[in-house]
Amino acid sequence: MTKRNVDIAVIGGGAAGLAAAIKAKEKGIENIVILERNEELGGILPQCIHTGFGLRYFKENFTGPEYISRFIKKAQDLQIESKLDTMVLEITSDKKITAVNSVDGLLTLQAKAIVLAMGCRERTRGALGIAGTRPAGILTAGTAQRLMDIEGYMPGAKVVILGSGDIGLIMARRFVMEGAKVEAVVEILPYASGLSRNVVQCLEDFNIPLLLEHTVTSIHGADRVEAVTVAKVNVDWKPIQETERTIECDTLILSVGLIPENELSQIADIALDSATGGPIINDYMETSVQGIFGCGNVVHVYDLVDQVTQAGELAGESAARYVLNELPTLRKKIVLKAGDNVKSVVPQIISGEEPVTLHLRVKKPMRNVKVKIGNLSIPKRVVRPPEMVVISFTGKAIEKLEKKDELRVSIEGETGP
Amino acid sequence: MKKKEVRAITCIICPVGCKARVTIENGKILKIEDVECSRGEEYVGRELEAPVRDFFTTVRIKGASTPVLPVRSTQPIPKDKILNCVLELVNVVVDAPVEAGDVIFKKPLGLGVDIVATRDMNRVKEK
Repeated sequence: MTKRNVDIAVIGGGAAGLAAAIKAKEKGIENIVILERNEELGGILPQCIHTGFGLRYFKENFTGPEYISRFIKKAQDLQIESKLDTMVLEITSDKKITAVNSVDGLLTLQAKAIVLAMGCRERTRGALGIAGTRPAGILTAGTAQRLMDIEGYMPGAKVVILGSGDIGLIMARRFVMEGAKVEAVVEILPYASGLSRNVVQCLEDFNIPLLLEHTVTSIHGADRVEAVTVAKVNVDWKPIQETERTIECDTLILSVGLIPENELSQIADIALDSATGGPIINDYMETSVQGIFGCGNVVHVYDLVDQVTQAGELAGESAARYVLNELPTLRKKIVLKAGDNVKSVVPQIISGEEPVTLHLRVKKPMRNVKVKIGNLSIPKRVVRPPEMVVISFTGKAIEKLEKKDELRVSIEGETGP
Repeated sequence: MKKKEVRAITCIICPVGCKARVTIENGKILKIEDVECSRGEEYVGRELEAPVRDFFTTVRIKGASTPVLPVRSTQPIPKDKILNCVLELVNVVVDAPVEAGDVIFKKPLGLGVDIVATRDMNRVKEK
């Protein structure tokens, strides 16, 4: 069994973990290791072969592989150590890590600080409880993406996509480009879950029908998917039986949401937020356990990788400051609570003293809105559930914020997109 | 007689996705409303005259750790040429190693753009 000490261990080598490790190294921390379970660094980006990445961070329009290669190269240039093909089995609140790979065998690391950057996973059929048989041909959108754009396999020829999340929309276009027929994208909500730009360039461009307020009620087929039953739903999301119809297909793709992957955080007794599924964090991206930080989709699911990179940089900088004994403890703790039309708010705890950027997820679309945080009110033209609401407070604005132990964050406005 | 119409176009330049209202008379744009920025106005104009899209797909690669290589066009291509462009690349097989930016296919369909690799792929030993 190999044992060693490190200053910072970063769990996960995707966009968040790479940004954190790079920032920590730049802040003067020498002994950093990235633990990555895949055979290469980059997380999900190598399989996101479409464009639209880096518009904010680099002011350029990159594909996923182009975006992440910049960080992989930088990490290599800075000689940051990474252990690939390495599965972390356990972390403890005193920052001991147990991992395993085929080179070191069982590996124990004692870290001064840990950055959690494990990302998220896709919601599966089990979470939806769709009736019917269990044939081959039911895949999550990300799995289909990996099969097509990394492994070079075509998962199906006649496809129905359940859920209109961005990955589902992007895969609808990829399926058509690779010669498959996409019969429909089925969405239970009255609006698409993905960005409207993806509805245009992935569905409308290829005349793929988007069935709003519909769901899949049953899956048919013995060995392979042969058809699915779809139905319109009422306001309570219950299928209306008379509207049921069958669509022949050999593949059902699920794009029904992402869940932060926090099994390791739970083992370390890190407090989680039931609204995000990720750890509760403060201004510095520090979790409820001192010296353990979180960043990226493990904290909450972001819209853009550019935002994940920024979160990683902040967590990496905080971890470095912690190791150097330069990270102040929050003198004041203000707990932010989700109020009207707010599903989640990150960070959940702020000092009310330092500049901070809040990320909100709304429950339903509204226009001409006011985002209210305690005594402060910020106007926004429109808010939609697929698009994270980002609100940055400068030092000056934060001075004006009332300093209570708990503040509600709510959104008021007119209903409608 | 003059033909006047109002068309709705969703801008795809950024995640905001402005829903533009465009007034057209005899094929000419009279005014563009409900767009937040100049890039959006530019997009709407182009979308009406000659819509273009980013192009990306994969081609087959030999001697690398995986069988496909992601590629893109150096500039956007006409929207109605996307599927033709895919077909043009169907039989392309490249040999590893490849570096990001390497030209994989010159000017498909005479479009004046090249298809380039979007990642490095090392050569691996044959099994």
